[in-house]
Amino acid sequence: MVAEKMDTDKQADGPAPETEAKAGQARQMSPLEALFGLVNVLETSVKLKETKMGRVMRICASTRSQLSPETLRAFFSTVLADDVESKGFLTAHAEQASAGQVAAMDTSEASSSGKAESQKPTNTPEVEIMCFMLLLMNLLDNKKAQQAKEVSIKALQRLSTLNRRTLDTIAARIYFYYAWSHEQTGQLADVRSTLLALHRTTTLRHDSIGQETLLNLLLRNYLHYGLYDQAEKFRSKAQKEDVFRSHQQYCRYLYYLGRIRAIQLEYSEARDCLQQASRKAPTSALGFRVTADKWLTLVRLLLGEVPERAEFAVPGLSQPLQPYYEVTQAVRRGNLDAFAQVAAKYDAVFRADATRNLVTRLHQNVLRTGLKRISMAYSRISLADVAAKLALPSVEDTECIVAKAIRDGGVDAVLDHDTGAMASKETQDVYVSSEPAEAFHARVAFCLDLHNEAIKAMRYEVCCSRMRASRRRQ
Amino acid sequence: MALQESAALLAKLKDAYSKNDLKTCSSVLDQLKVKLIQFPSLPPVNQPSPTAQQELTLTREALEHACCVSIKQQDEAAMERAFVQLKVFYEDTRSKLPPSPQETTLQGLNLLRLLVQNRVAEFHTELELITPETQALPEVAHVLQMERWLMEGAYNKVLASSQSGTATDLHAQLMSQLATTVRDEIASCCEKAYTQLKLADAQRMMMFDNEKAILAYAAEHNWPVQGGRIFFQVEGKAGKVEGPPPLALINNALMYAKELERIV
Repeated sequence: MVAEKMDTDKQADGPAPETEAKAGQARQMSPLEALFGLVNVLETSVKLKETKMGRVMRICASTRSQLSPETLRAFFSTVLADDVESKGFLTAHAEQASAGQVAAMDTSEASSSGKAESQKPTNTPEVEIMCFMLLLMNLLDNKKAQQAKEVSIKALQRLSTLNRRTLDTIAARIYFYYAWSHEQTGQLADVRSTLLALHRTTTLRHDSIGQETLLNLLLRNYLHYGLYDQAEKFRSKAQKEDVFRSHQQYCRYLYYLGRIRAIQLEYSEARDCLQQASRKAPTSALGFRVTADKWLTLVRLLLGEVPERAEFAVPGLSQPLQPYYEVTQAVRRGNLDAFAQVAAKYDAVFRADATRNLVTRLHQNVLRTGLKRISMAYSRISLADVAAKLALPSVEDTECIVAKAIRDGGVDAVLDHDTGAMASKETQDVYVSSEPAEAFHARVAFCLDLHNEAIKAMRYEVCCSRMRASRRRQ
Repeated sequence: MALQESAALLAKLKDAYSKNDLKTCSSVLDQLKVKLIQFPSLPPVNQPSPTAQQELTLTREALEHACCVSIKQQDEAAMERAFVQLKVFYEDTRSKLPPSPQETTLQGLNLLRLLVQNRVAEFHTELELITPETQALPEVAHVLQMERWLMEGAYNKVLASSQSGTATDLHAQLMSQLATTVRDEIASCCEKAYTQLKLADAQRMMMFDNEKAILAYAAEHNWPVQGGRIFFQVEGKAGKVEGPPPLALINNALMYAKELERIV
């Protein structure tokens, strides 16, 4: 499920021009220097009591790929004051991580050591927790899940002794890595009670970012084990705000909600959720979009919609979505044999994606589309012919199946038992019915809803307005 | 102490169950449940105790019997309660206990119960918890096949398999209840799909034993019977071509006006 891990580092709205310039600078700096810059930014934000830490997270993201355990060790030993109790723990782990690798101290790092001396050690808890975060990031990037697990447990212990609002954003990341490292080592079930306790704490502290993150982590945890019932109960009971603070967390939430709804057979709601999740996901989060699109394709098929061929041709999506594309084709043609073949061929894929049961449910949709095509093409056809066309075993079955299709409104026809035939009704003019009015209403309602949502989403951070006010005074 | 007493009660329960003495069963079960509460090692407390394994196994077995008894008594609510309790044992004690030989059977029965009650959403939620390997086992696969037939509309197969005398008497109990549900489904399909139907054909389709039963059923649904034929869709033909309902249109227009007012 690695693909599903959305890259939370990337801000969807894109950094402001000035920060982009800064990031460009950071790229030319050596990783160590970049980290020192990060500490300064972090400490300034702490002083200003800024809780969002957008810039800190952006710098973290840009230096992420350049980090090596060696750099981290040097960084920890310089930047953390000696009285920080986890200093020893952090440096030891960084050392352990670098032990396996060839310690390649590049020249730029050596030259920056002069600057390292000028960097004052600090004991700000935010910096300490950020050090944990950087180490975790590095360990997980290097696939050292076991070690990351130990570090994350220690980080949580340290976090439990702190209660500072400026920590919330970084703490939320630590929670994420905590769950992620446990998932990679296959011990996801063990962390459930810890996560629940943390969720309670964050709710009590009105730490909305932590709350959102933990909500999603718990949903993921439940869904990993197929506990849809518990997930839905938790989701509906858990306290959450109307508007999510983090865009990424909202995308994830929509995805999990869509999955729950799909399992509960509430397909239209599931489609709306999954569609939004897929559209709102940042362009860089390709893995997430692939996973969401897989579910979306199946849900749309179950609803009787057929996704366009072009939707499968998007670069990056076409290859992983291939099995789903073939399923779509089978459903569109209404060919039971082809459907069974595809289902058997990609059984392992569907099993891994946890969509196998949904694919099985599609069976009746295949029948339905096949039936619809026949009723469109023939004004009167004998049931025996229908059975032959759909490869159904007996005429009695066919009669029952057609009867149900007629009742559910999929096919507009009349059965005649005496002659054993299905007669299609004359298609009546849709413009006489209320269908156009309904379609019009659905669109207008969508636009109005969109407008209202947009207004609701215009929420300003308290600190932002305060800063702007102070700037104006100057 | 409590362990020995409950073991004795369980033996008594099993004895009564094998004799099909449901009254004794439920009275013994009531006593047994009170005893079981005293075990310290049961979920959700999960306190370690030296006899934890025996306690858990014993409780699981007792609950399994409780499920079966409630099915025989046709008490669906009791069956649901018992199974919810039992599910905890199947899921959370998997690491502590060897799997129960009854597990798949009971899972199958539970799925069947959800089908009988037409709770399809919960059916699928439960299904997500069952591994593909277990789904392939006959006890569960049979129910899955049932569900598929129901969904695609092959009701005749469901009825046929409910009357063919399936594996155990527990299944048969639930299946006979399913047959009633299915019959109503067939009836509503026929109503929509046919204009008229011969009595004999209707009787065969809905699997009634004699003509009297089908006549009674037709009378119940207000289907007119003339000359050995049932006629459907008598009403509703006249006002077929009707425009959009005016009231809904007015409501929509008012809503647009209100929303637009808010925007401008």
